[in-house]
Amino acid sequence: MERYQQADPEAPATLVRALSPALLRFFKSQVASRQQADDLLQETWLRIHRVRHTYRPGEPVLPWIYAIARRVRVDGYRRTRRITAHETTVGTLPEPRLRAEPRSHLPEFETLIAPLPEAQREVVTMLKVGGLSLEEVACATSSTAGAVKQKAHRAYHRLRQLLQHHVPQHNAEGRSREEIHGLP
Amino acid sequence: MDCRDLEGTLFERKTSVPSELPAQIQEHLLACDHCRDFVRALNLAVDEDSPSPEILRQIERTLSVELRPVRPLAPARYFFAAFAAIFVLTVAAGVYRLGAFAMSVMSSAQSIATLGALGASAGLLAYSLAHQMAPGNRHRVPPKLLPAMVIGLLALVMAGLFEFQHEIDFWGGGWACLRAGTPFGLLAAVPFWLLLRQGAILSPRVTGAAVGLLSGLVGTSALEIHCPILDASHILMWHLGIAFLGAVIGLAAGFAGEAAQRHLLSAQQ
Repeated sequence: MERYQQADPEAPATLVRALSPALLRFFKSQVASRQQADDLLQETWLRIHRVRHTYRPGEPVLPWIYAIARRVRVDGYRRTRRITAHETTVGTLPEPRLRAEPRSHLPEFETLIAPLPEAQREVVTMLKVGGLSLEEVACATSSTAGAVKQKAHRAYHRLRQLLQHHVPQHNAEGRSREEIHGLP
Repeated sequence: MDCRDLEGTLFERKTSVPSELPAQIQEHLLACDHCRDFVRALNLAVDEDSPSPEILRQIERTLSVELRPVRPLAPARYFFAAFAAIFVLTVAAGVYRLGAFAMSVMSSAQSIATLGALGASAGLLAYSLAHQMAPGNRHRVPPKLLPAMVIGLLALVMAGLFEFQHEIDFWGGGWACLRAGTPFGLLAAVPFWLLLRQGAILSPRVTGAAVGLLSGLVGTSALEIHCPILDASHILMWHLGIAFLGAVIGLAAGFAGEAAQRHLLSAQQ
């Protein structure tokens, strides 16, 4: 990041390639379509570029990046909501699935966390997709570590409930747990 | 080790991969089906779904074209000091212009508590603003809640310190205070805004409310030192009212700023 601030020509590519996959997952897990997630990703990098001087060398990069990404997501959501409010629905086409088959009995991560409230979804995604610590999530969301911990705890509790509903259903279909898991 | 301990460990650790978790957790996972499913579900998050190479190249090209060296933002403590200095200097200018008549009629306890509460509130707001200028900074109090907390606490302090009396000319006296205090709030708002512009304001409405409140508190503080009326309703309505008005104006300006940003982005797309 410091090399990026000093205009090292290699720095943008290194940063973009290192951070974009996690950012894309972050946007996708916030119930954005792939197209929207790509747009938000590009917008995030533009905004990061505009405010790159606000990164203070020596401080953790991830909270800084995610705070910007989070803001881009909120702005994108508001913009989309404003536009869709003026659009007339003419029909719904099913979205093409990127993966034909789920690799286990568990739903995909995005599907699994979709029923969670937005704030909890955001915290879980930052913790588990972005690899941020509780403190870092607190910084990225302008919150306190205690509040983040509480949201994560509620989210985990809800996820457990959702899984309990899902797994017995699946087991009833006749596959053994050991066959599916192999864990740990 | 139980299911709750497992959750606690998962909060603290960046990884949920079973083989990288502590031995006790791994033992618990062997025994508990629910936790095993749970950990497995969390690990789905690690699966990569990369952006297309074309998009990555496009982003890299855009960033490289406009790449120029930038000087990193000064540490937050410098901005905190600048906000505090502007606050103190504008209040001092207000007191110099209006006079310090309230100091002779207030008891020492009232003076210390009022000025202490106003100083502490201004300090908290200045600290929060200095940290809001750079994304991803740590906040002791969530910036969203701070303005409401400050106004609420100040109202409680004022209501506790001063008595509710029947003021003869409530509206006339109030209007005079409003006219005397507001210009100093507006005067402070300009340098505050110039300072904030150096950073990145991610949430204009939250920052707007905080900077509006801080500007309003300049007027409130000048009036608390100047105005000899010690009626609690007068102080709450007309002195603290300036701070409240500042927060509302700042919030409205933030909303307008966000709408303008959205409009600009929609037009660009």
